Amino acid sequence: MSVISVTGFGHQNVSVDSDSEDDAMGDIEATGFKSSIVTPGERITDDPTWMRGHGTFYLSNQTYSSVAGSISRVSKLLSVIPFHGRYSPETGDHVVGRIVEVSQKRWKVDIGAQHDAILMLGSVNLPGGVLRRKSESDELQMRSFLKEGDLLNAEVQTVSQDGAAFLHTRSLKYGKLRNGVFVRVPSSLIVRAKNHSHDLPGSVSVILGVNGFVWIYRTKVNANTKTENSASINRVSAQLSSSRDYTPGQGSESITRLEEESSWSIYSDQNDEDFPETIKLNITRYRGCILALAHCEIGITGSRLVNAYHASMVYDNIDALVSNQVKEAIGRDIIEAEKMRGK
Amino acid sequence: MSRFEIYSPEGLRVDGRRWNEIRRFECRINSHPTSSDGSSYVEQGNTKVLCLVQGPMEPALRSQSSTAQGSLIVNVSVTPFATVERNKRPRNDRRIQELSATLTRTFNKAIVLKNYPRSLIQVNLQVLALDGGLLAACTNATTLALMDAGISMYDYISSVTAGIFDGQTPLLDLNTIEENELGFLTVGVIGESEKLALLLMEDRVGMDSLEKVLAIAIAGSHRIRELMDIQVRNYGKHKVAKLANQ
Amino acid sequence: MFKGFEVSSNEQAFTLETLKSGIRFDGRKLEEMRDIDIRLGDEYGYVEVRLGNTKAIVRISAQLAVPFEDRPYEGIFQISTEISPMAGPMFEAGRQSIDEVLISRLVEKAVRRSGALDLESLCIIAGSRCWAVRADVHFLDYDGNFIDATCLAVMVGLSHFKKPDIAINGEEIVLFSTDQRDPVPLSVLHIPLCVTFAFYNPNDVEENIKGSSSGELILVDPTMKEEAQSLGSMTLTLNKNREICQISKAGGLPIDAPVIMDCCSIAYSIVERLTEKIKQLLKDDEAKRIDINVQRALSAANDR
Repeated sequence: MSVISVTGFGHQNVSVDSDSEDDAMGDIEATGFKSSIVTPGERITDDPTWMRGHGTFYLSNQTYSSVAGSISRVSKLLSVIPFHGRYSPETGDHVVGRIVEVSQKRWKVDIGAQHDAILMLGSVNLPGGVLRRKSESDELQMRSFLKEGDLLNAEVQTVSQDGAAFLHTRSLKYGKLRNGVFVRVPSSLIVRAKNHSHDLPGSVSVILGVNGFVWIYRTKVNANTKTENSASINRVSAQLSSSRDYTPGQGSESITRLEEESSWSIYSDQNDEDFPETIKLNITRYRGCILALAHCEIGITGSRLVNAYHASMVYDNIDALVSNQVKEAIGRDIIEAEKMRGK
Repeated sequence: MSRFEIYSPEGLRVDGRRWNEIRRFECRINSHPTSSDGSSYVEQGNTKVLCLVQGPMEPALRSQSSTAQGSLIVNVSVTPFATVERNKRPRNDRRIQELSATLTRTFNKAIVLKNYPRSLIQVNLQVLALDGGLLAACTNATTLALMDAGISMYDYISSVTAGIFDGQTPLLDLNTIEENELGFLTVGVIGESEKLALLLMEDRVGMDSLEKVLAIAIAGSHRIRELMDIQVRNYGKHKVAKLANQ
Repeated sequence: MFKGFEVSSNEQAFTLETLKSGIRFDGRKLEEMRDIDIRLGDEYGYVEVRLGNTKAIVRISAQLAVPFEDRPYEGIFQISTEISPMAGPMFEAGRQSIDEVLISRLVEKAVRRSGALDLESLCIIAGSRCWAVRADVHFLDYDGNFIDATCLAVMVGLSHFKKPDIAINGEEIVLFSTDQRDPVPLSVLHIPLCVTFAFYNPNDVEENIKGSSSGELILVDPTMKEEAQSLGSMTLTLNKNREICQISKAGGLPIDAPVIMDCCSIAYSIVERLTEKIKQLLKDDEAKRIDINVQRALSAANDR
């Protein structure tokens, strides 16, 4: 084919900022990679010693990228991590999900991943205690425990070969969600941590699902009496969280307490009747704060949320949090506050 | 014959371009971060296309689920206000059906579908304004949106139209006026190669001038790929910088 | 191509191996069409085409109609292609699958958009009266490659068809029966013919996209089984004036541009041969009809 030059029409912004690219590359050049950001079809390396991970494909010695993302190297494993992507579940993740289907002995739960997660009837606590046998009548009344549309929080028990997650709710901190509001943020913004359920100032608690599903709700009133020695709910005011260490068995409950509380009430569809106005307002404010953090693409943690809450107090009216300028202002406050503390 | 002078003796076209110039090409990725897994917006001259990608996700129907590879659905809708004459297209317009089938078949081979067993990838295209090169703009928008969604692809597919004037002068990237007057083809090129994923031609073109038109179309597609690549990289840099900030 | 016809993966691998050695199961060369059998009916415009085991019938008809408002100087030409379950068990009655849409769109582009039929010659009185020509395609049996068969049948039908002669008397149109006046043929400007190629990839996907060798295999005129195993297809429409009327490679396996140019010349030689064949066939048919007419005239004279 003949070679024909093509010229763009008008002035196209073609110049690639070469300086910044060099900075980003730095150490990468030493390993023979062109750039840390690659796009599909781009050759990453012709060195056959690399193991090819996710986001790559190869032909003989050449390794190519199959996604737009940044190169990651873990010892000899070469993979490309895309800029965006769906949440991919890992064992032990604390997630929030929504029931989409009730089928034979299992619920299908939308957790925002590539596949719906599966919650087996055998992996939930049913009224009447843990040691209870699951009978046929339980199978028939699965919808009276959890039905389509219900939100729950759970832990990923295992991940199957093709990436589908199996969940369990065998702890008091898991189960159906009530008394609150649901917010969805990109899963990449949730920082994986030891604990994802936090009690926040203002009688509000939050569950930051690793999958980016967030539940903001009123702190359980009846649980309050036992909170002092119960580790399941971790007070995260900014100072406390760093000083506390993880103790084995944290988050688990004694069987007796489970028996006590595994009554029908954990599957109740009723919200609390006496719901103070102030808590409603606080929940709304936290919702605004989470959206503000998401808008600024700042990783969301319990302590940051508390900081954002305090920063948002400048605005009396919660509807101020809707504007992008306010969101960005809050984002700036948090980043600066963290820099000040030398983080 | 025509009210317009398609190609003047001085070598200028109706909109003042030369024969080998593409129209203004602008694109953006991640234009709708909250409503989709991947999104893009492409302007090729006055043709404006919006693309949203959902997935990979659990297929709604059992029939869409295959254990060997993922399935792909492409929906195209042309807004009633896309053309000068406002007209409502019937839902099952055969031209649109053909368009979405063409896009589906093209991207079936470009996406690494074997990585997505039992999953569905859904591509929704909205044509906001139409001024020639519909299939080309849709192809480019889909490429970008899939990339934004982090879906594995073997390479870019970049697309552009090219026509032939008077049986000898090839013209690149036609607008509606030129499309109505000339025989033209649409190509979809894989990456920087000369491999064609897509080649559609509707009007009569002499067999011997085909090579010329094809050559300029491929060169034009490479140019479009370059422009898209710059955009993707800039976005990536911005994203990486944000992460470094935390 | 059509759902409901599956080939096991072992058989696919074997087919690929055989194709690599240049062998097709029906003994054809890779770039060879199947035998084409065209039968013209007693009536003008009735054509039966058999392409291997694929069988289609076309019936051309014409009637007087009112032209479209936006095109007062042109007649109307419609092609109707409906695939009934008669063609094979994989076709559903009533519901049009996407493949059927593609077939009808392709034939429409190949014949109608390429201007094979001179629509202006179908105009009788501008804006009020014109001929509406209709091609009804019936698919009787399916063994791959509907498009080529359909396009061929429609073009032979159009060249064969004769519409009744008319006379214009002011605003009145007089229609003559075939006994009164000889019917007149349609004005067919050129004969576009389709050639369909099927693509196979004997290597990995990665080799196809990134490799330097273009090892893709190309078959002309695939059968149903070959179609089911192919990774993509391309239909070229050409006429014998070296004009390409339509190219349709809607996705599928990526193919090198020079290879597509080669396909064009393969297709051209096929089209050239086919056009000759059609011309000869139509000439023979015409001669036969004249012969009969002459004989009839002579015998009538003897009877008296």
